[in-house]
Amino acid sequence: MLKRTLLSSVTAITLLAAAAVPAKAEVTFMYAEWLASLVEPGITAFEAETGEKVNAIKLPGAGYDQRIALDLSAGTAADVIQMDSFMVSELASAGYLHPLNDQAAGWDQYQYYMPGLLEVASYDGKVYALPTDTDVRMLWYDKSNFEKAGIPVPWEPKSWADVLDAAQKLKDAGVQYPFQLPAGTKQGEAATMQGFYMALLGADVPEGDRNRLLNRATGQWIGDSPALRRTLDLYHQVYVEKKLTPADLNYAADIGAAVREALANDQLGILASGSWEDACLWDCNGVNLPSREERDAMVGWTPWPGSGEPGTKATTNISGGWTIGVNAKAADKDLAFKLVTTIFDVGNFKAWTLANHRMGVRTDISESPEYMEDAYLAKATALAADTTGRDTVPGYQTVSALVQQMTADILDGQSVEDVIAGYHAALVDEFGEEKVMTYE
Amino acid sequence: MRNQANPWITSNLPLLGLAMLPAIILIGALVYFTVWAFTFSFTDLALVGRKSVEWSWVGFENFERLFTRRGFLESLWTTIIFVFFSAIVGQSVLGFLLATALRGTSSTLKTVVEVCIMLGWLLPDIVAAFLWSATTSQTGLINALIVVPLGFRPVNFINEFALPVVTIANIWKGTAWSYLLFSAALDSVSREVVEAAKIDGATPFQRTWLVVLPIIRPHIATNMLFITIWTFTYFPLIFAMTGGGPGRQTETLAVFLYNQSFSRGNLGFGSAISVAMLLIVGALSLIYLRMLREPK
Repeated sequence: MLKRTLLSSVTAITLLAAAAVPAKAEVTFMYAEWLASLVEPGITAFEAETGEKVNAIKLPGAGYDQRIALDLSAGTAADVIQMDSFMVSELASAGYLHPLNDQAAGWDQYQYYMPGLLEVASYDGKVYALPTDTDVRMLWYDKSNFEKAGIPVPWEPKSWADVLDAAQKLKDAGVQYPFQLPAGTKQGEAATMQGFYMALLGADVPEGDRNRLLNRATGQWIGDSPALRRTLDLYHQVYVEKKLTPADLNYAADIGAAVREALANDQLGILASGSWEDACLWDCNGVNLPSREERDAMVGWTPWPGSGEPGTKATTNISGGWTIGVNAKAADKDLAFKLVTTIFDVGNFKAWTLANHRMGVRTDISESPEYMEDAYLAKATALAADTTGRDTVPGYQTVSALVQQMTADILDGQSVEDVIAGYHAALVDEFGEEKVMTYE
Repeated sequence: MRNQANPWITSNLPLLGLAMLPAIILIGALVYFTVWAFTFSFTDLALVGRKSVEWSWVGFENFERLFTRRGFLESLWTTIIFVFFSAIVGQSVLGFLLATALRGTSSTLKTVVEVCIMLGWLLPDIVAAFLWSATTSQTGLINALIVVPLGFRPVNFINEFALPVVTIANIWKGTAWSYLLFSAALDSVSREVVEAAKIDGATPFQRTWLVVLPIIRPHIATNMLFITIWTFTYFPLIFAMTGGGPGRQTETLAVFLYNQSFSRGNLGFGSAISVAMLLIVGALSLIYLRMLREPK
């Protein structure tokens, strides 16, 4: 009797468990909250067209890179993934991503993508993701605070000294955050790109990649150089020596929201950031944006000047951007790629690019009359004429984290000498002595 | 016991094995993660890139770096300060004082205070982090309500006193547990014993120190054990409030571990940090477990 009861219970449980397993696969998709206005109309169109269900996993922007890397390495990532372009080669080198060349060859809109941007999302000659946008970086400034501090607008700084001088005037005029220079580990890649790398590029002459993190000719990471020291000294002046700005915006519970709030409260002087801020200073998804005139009256921007050292660049710029790719473990890769192409279908993609003032990655969009007539995009695109990309070789993510740690250590009051020594040691730990070099 | 069980069950080995399966899976999962961290602490395993698939053994290199590279020792010190002031001094002492003070007070007052303490405990960590950030920022509640009306310049508390602010936030968040535990413990002290001490002429301090505390000693040790382990490895509140900054001011071991493992992507080094944390917490637990023993 007991035996029969037990057996029937076991059978019942097994049946229940079997019934709980979903019968039909669906396409899963991970993306950051701020990209919703591009991907969500695409998802709707995909579902209507194919009748398949998309399991959309919308994630917060904070900690997004770490989440994607962790999920891919643990094998729990979605079929389709949005990721920062700098991560593509690294993720592809570990075999986490699916090469798109064969599928893309059969898609009529693929030909319009700019080759240089596909290059960034490639590894070993294969394209692993398609770009959503690219960007340029600049110094944004609050016009009302500049007037209060007696600095003429439009502001055109020619060297770091001019920037520090303006920040000092803003501080004297009582502005809470005179020069928000991204620093520290909490905002991840933003601190490296919007702050450190922009300064580094103008800190020394470009010959021999003396103004970079990587010597691209030899493939060695630069563990010590005048450019690194000068850049760290800039951070030291801003945060420690001259105390030009408090550090707390870099560590806020929601950094983007804290920056927007500071701007709304007229507390922001200069903000080192990028072209997306034309919308993101108010709302990245373009909801309730003030009019063009209102935005222009509130904020302006100027290119990042070089340090002013002899032979350095007059202005600097580095471009990044985001991409969407397919997981190597996706069950139905054709369906996954179909979702990618539906999102990037020209109607949806062009509308988003124009509405959010993103810099186009496809000639069919960037050469359209609407795009070319847009004054903001025209000015930003002019800046892109002299730009460079990150050192998107495997290992960059680690180096970027070490760079962020350097800026955090400067905030802690460490000397430039100690910080450089720690950085060099960490690079050797990660890559070995022969992969690290120094410049006198 | 064994003889009372149905002989069909006790003689049926496959069935016994099946019944043991959930326990084996549970224990296996617990052991698996520990063994995983321990094993990979001797490798250069990375989160992404080639080293995530082609890792190699590096011996004790990761453990050496705990002491030769900046970070671990500083974070250990920050963690000790954080645990000592927020858990041991803050939550435990405050919880005990509240439990003592509210013992025997009218039920309405007690309920009001209890609800207030519990609110902090019930609030999700991330919500609490936003709340404390908003309270302690330059334009926050404390400045708007106290500092500025009194005629002082507003102070950016979370920037200038980051570690004290997260410590206070954690006291606020965690006192409820100690309070509840000590309330229950005090209820177990019989009134006769305390009254007898009173008749013998013991002062209130002597009654607490010499009579009540020795009786609830096991509860104190249990409480210490729990809150030390929790606070030592506590992550969300600090990370959301400050991310370990400014600089490294609030970088406790848990935040350091996160940054090294998932931002820098060095899972081998991260595993070494977690093994070190395991050993430290294990040693502390042994001390507390000794406290739990009855004195001879």
